[in-house]
Amino acid sequence: MRTAISRLSLVEPRSLRHALRLMRDEAGLVPLAGCTDLYVALNDGALRATRFLNLWPIEELRVIEPRGPVLFIGALATYSSLIRSADVRRRLPMLVSAAREVGGRQVQNRGTLGGNIANGSPAGDTLPVLAAAEATVVLGSATGTRRVPFTAFYKGYRTTVMRADELILGIEVPEVEGRQWFCKVGTRGAQAISKVVMAAVRAPHPRVALGSVAPTVVRVPKTEAALTGGASVDEARTILMSEIAPIDDIRSTAAYRRHVAGVLLGRFWEQTAAGRPVY
Amino acid sequence: MASRDIHGIDAPWGAFRHVGRDLRKVDGLAKATGAAMYTDDIALPGMLHAKTLRSPHAHARIRSIDAADALRLAGVHAVITGEHLPVTYGILPWTQDETALAVGKVRFVGEPVAAVAAVDEDAANAALKLIRVEYEPLHAYLDPFESLARHDPPIHEGRKDGNVSKHVHLAFGDVDAALAEADVVIEDDYVFHGTTHAAIEPHCAVGHYGADGVLTVWSSTQITHYVHRALARVLDVPAHRIRVIQPCLGGAFGGKSDPFSLEFVVAKLAMTTGRPVKMLYTREEVFYTHRGRHPMHMRYRTGATREGRLVGVDATIVIDGGAYSSYGLVTTYYAGQLLTGPYAFATYRFDSTRAFTNKPPCGPKRGHGSVQPRFAFEVQLDELASTLEIDPIEIRRRNLLGEHTTTVNGQRITSNGFARCLDVVEHASNWKTRHGQLPFGRGMGVAGSMYISGTNYPIYPNPMPQAAVQLKIDRSGLVTVFTGANDIGQGSNSIAQYLVAEELGLALDQVRVVSADTDLCPVDLGAYSSRETFMVGNALIDACRKVRPLVVRAVADHWQVDPSRVRFVDGVVVELDDPPLQPAGVAVGGEARPGASPPDAAAGRRWMTAAEAFQLAEARFDTLGATGAYNTPTLGGDYRGGTIGAAPAYSFTAHVVEVSVDVETGRITCEKVWIAHDCGRALNPMLVAGQMEGSAYMGVAEALMEAHGVNRFGLHAGPSLLDYRIPTTVDTPELAALIVESLDPEGPYGAKEAGEGPLHPAIPAISNAVFDAVGIRLKHLPFTPGKVLAALRARKDAAAGTPAPALAGGAR
Ligand SMILES: Cc1cc2nc3c(=O)[nH]c(=O)nc-3n(C[C@H](O)[C@H](O)[C@H](O)COP(=O)(O)OP(=O)(O)OC[C@H]3O[C@@H](n4cnc5c(N)ncnc54)[C@H](O)[C@@H]3O)c2cc1C
Repeated sequence: MRTAISRLSLVEPRSLRHALRLMRDEAGLVPLAGCTDLYVALNDGALRATRFLNLWPIEELRVIEPRGPVLFIGALATYSSLIRSADVRRRLPMLVSAAREVGGRQVQNRGTLGGNIANGSPAGDTLPVLAAAEATVVLGSATGTRRVPFTAFYKGYRTTVMRADELILGIEVPEVEGRQWFCKVGTRGAQAISKVVMAAVRAPHPRVALGSVAPTVVRVPKTEAALTGGASVDEARTILMSEIAPIDDIRSTAAYRRHVAGVLLGRFWEQTAAGRPVY
Repeated sequence: MASRDIHGIDAPWGAFRHVGRDLRKVDGLAKATGAAMYTDDIALPGMLHAKTLRSPHAHARIRSIDAADALRLAGVHAVITGEHLPVTYGILPWTQDETALAVGKVRFVGEPVAAVAAVDEDAANAALKLIRVEYEPLHAYLDPFESLARHDPPIHEGRKDGNVSKHVHLAFGDVDAALAEADVVIEDDYVFHGTTHAAIEPHCAVGHYGADGVLTVWSSTQITHYVHRALARVLDVPAHRIRVIQPCLGGAFGGKSDPFSLEFVVAKLAMTTGRPVKMLYTREEVFYTHRGRHPMHMRYRTGATREGRLVGVDATIVIDGGAYSSYGLVTTYYAGQLLTGPYAFATYRFDSTRAFTNKPPCGPKRGHGSVQPRFAFEVQLDELASTLEIDPIEIRRRNLLGEHTTTVNGQRITSNGFARCLDVVEHASNWKTRHGQLPFGRGMGVAGSMYISGTNYPIYPNPMPQAAVQLKIDRSGLVTVFTGANDIGQGSNSIAQYLVAEELGLALDQVRVVSADTDLCPVDLGAYSSRETFMVGNALIDACRKVRPLVVRAVADHWQVDPSRVRFVDGVVVELDDPPLQPAGVAVGGEARPGASPPDAAAGRRWMTAAEAFQLAEARFDTLGATGAYNTPTLGGDYRGGTIGAAPAYSFTAHVVEVSVDVETGRITCEKVWIAHDCGRALNPMLVAGQMEGSAYMGVAEALMEAHGVNRFGLHAGPSLLDYRIPTTVDTPELAALIVESLDPEGPYGAKEAGEGPLHPAIPAISNAVFDAVGIRLKHLPFTPGKVLAALRARKDAAAGTPAPALAGGAR
């Protein structure tokens, strides 16, 4: 094991406000939540940072509760807490499905939704859910709070609109109408990065979001439009396969990803047809 | 008593007390509670930490190495390079082509080039960055066929045969004539991709050089004895001043059966710095260290009569060896020599060539050398069955080799439970009502195999015992067993305890085992070729039977009875009636409780504790102890290479696998594996079942998930457990371990191996099950979704009459 961790320091904030002030005052201070991504990056030597802000004790970031028309999920909500939450299960079952697919139990107990969003891997399992649910990211800083639609949050591969002094406070999920659907095709049954991951909502205007097929999580507007316009699922599948631009890597090939995305679209459509029980 | 004695298969005291029971492993609780001490748990005062600088090139000449800046870094104690450890070594005496750190040249990405000892790993890592190495890149051979076609520059200089690591050509009978006369001949190409062991414990070693000039190396090795020899050679220290110890070990599977760079490096650095030095490989380094299963390109031709009787097998195999020889000479033989059972065929020929490539060196992995050909052959046999419209289990029955016979290549077969294995899996899986009758997308496949139970050929030729043990009998009632055997998780220490307790009539807690310490233990060759239970077991029985008569006689004389009336049961010595009765009512496998009187005492019979018996014997015969040894009988065919693959006994396995295939995504799910394995006598059925399940699990993983490959620069494709995918619990199919016991006349109480054989059939059985499920033959491993889809497409196109496109080989 590397012992580099010993040269690192962890800054303990007294409150959320204190945390936000620290973020404002110290350039290069890296927020740390469950540390499941950061630890890997540190051990790998990919991360140069030495000072970290421990968000873990900030209780208000752990809240999951309905707030008026939206469901608020705090950035520190772990996968385990998402799985356990009655509100999430009722209003956003596809997020529960996604959470169950993340890593193994240990990572589910420690990894957070905010960390998944901020980390911004194109393979992040919750991201297609948030895109399909048209969630809003709530960002906080010492100067205030702002809201960014999730679909506008990423600018490119692992880059976001978040400023260096900002923290993700949580997400707001509006009421999702229609049947929700989620599927991860991984390289194995657990502890796997997806080859393709898809979340979708069967509504008059169906919404389809995919991970691992582009530099960021994507919605597929042309495919959605075709489905809205009454195209057959086969037609929509053809459109989908040209709408995404996956790559070859160690986990899969572009051709296989494209093919499987099409298969998943077909399964989504079949399994969410009226009269079918929700998975 | 002697090393070649046959001890019989019967219980020493009438009925088995420990053997045949699901007993705990001796180290089970320590491992479960975290108390077990692994090599990395060792921390000595003043200990330094070492790290290795590795080659970024697949093939390059080293022009210069400048370590001056690294040496100046605070906390750094020493830097060594190839010039400090120039002596070559290698596990086989004929192919010593490795050095601990590269000398003059690097031959794969990740090859050790320099090593640093520093106060901690951070300082050592920082120092590595300051070492400047000038390389002159050379052409990198990444494909064995290219290696065979050209060798300028060669991977190893000064060899007569270019990049050929080993070539073996053996023929038995007239294969060409047999195939010409066969009613059907199936001919095809098969590819095994190459996998690695992925033991959970990474390699680790600690070196200590004492003021007395004794060098001690603790290492996570499965071959203490060969490491001992190699250290003496490379470090030029007399072997009697070197001590090698294997602490508790976290898995090996063949991946720790070579001497490795780190063992020499910590020793050298300890001698250089005067401080203890530890090196622990990162997971990434373990992937470069490799010695995993060889990729093989195999062409098989198999001929049979209309009735499905095999008449001849002809194999041509090209083996991708990676950069060094390791066990490659043996692998090249095993690839052909181990195929000649469990089926009989009258003619056989194989031609196998191992080529060097600029990749991490391959070596032995569970089922060394024979898992790949077994895959090819069992799939081919299945094709034969479907071509001839014979049930796949039936065709295997028609070709049974039988017991107490000789194979076409001259291997002696003793016990053979293969027919029973087939029956058992057929019955358990409801094969008759399900194979060929499940809905499209679901299918069942069968495969069989045979594997060595130890090998008669020591790695360096010598006439001394292959396994030896020593017993120390203590007045306290304790027997300490000293054995050079390496317990690598397979349970050899536990087996030693059970066998000695059985032989001497003791309770389990009266036997403790000290193992794999070259100062304390007699030589054992190590944990490879599935030899420990068979060979060490026989050596233990040998030792016990030398000392037992002394103790019995001391008691008999004390009681003034005939020795036949003295019986040891679980640590208590009782006087038997005349004629002897079964002793009754003594707790099985319990603790010896001196003072507690067994029920027999009430009946007026005399008794004493084992400790008292030992004291009587010690008073009479002096300090008690014994050595025991084992050597295989003379075995093997009378031709060059005929002893390679000759074993004192063979194990047999049959699998039935059930799969489902998702034809849209191309995913194969292995639903269930029925594993029937003939292990001779199951000394501990729970351990046998564990080996069977673990083997099947590993085979399934190699078929469906694992792949050890490099990219076009020779860089490992994914040196992490994220990208090198071993199955998690949720990926693991249901496993049914069905033990078959064909008591072997020469195994300890009839036992044979169980740790490697049960892996073999898993892989071909999956391919055969996929054929049953969706009608495609998968011949190129691993069976990725992309390949399944391509094969399905090709099948559809063929059915529609359009030419089939080539398989998308790179599809994952
Ligand atoms: C073994 C293993 C398996 C895994 N499996 C999966 C998987 O199946 N699917 C998957 O999607 N991921 C997986 N991951 C990745 C990881 O667990 C998730 O991305 C997790 O959600 C990260 O959350 P965290 O709280 O641990 O983040 P951290 O590691 O603490 O942080 C990750 C990044 O987010 C930033 N950050 C964290 N919280 C905030 C915040 N509130 N505001 C601003 N920035 C913040 C950090 O600065 C850092 O850059 C796996 C990881 C491991 C180690």
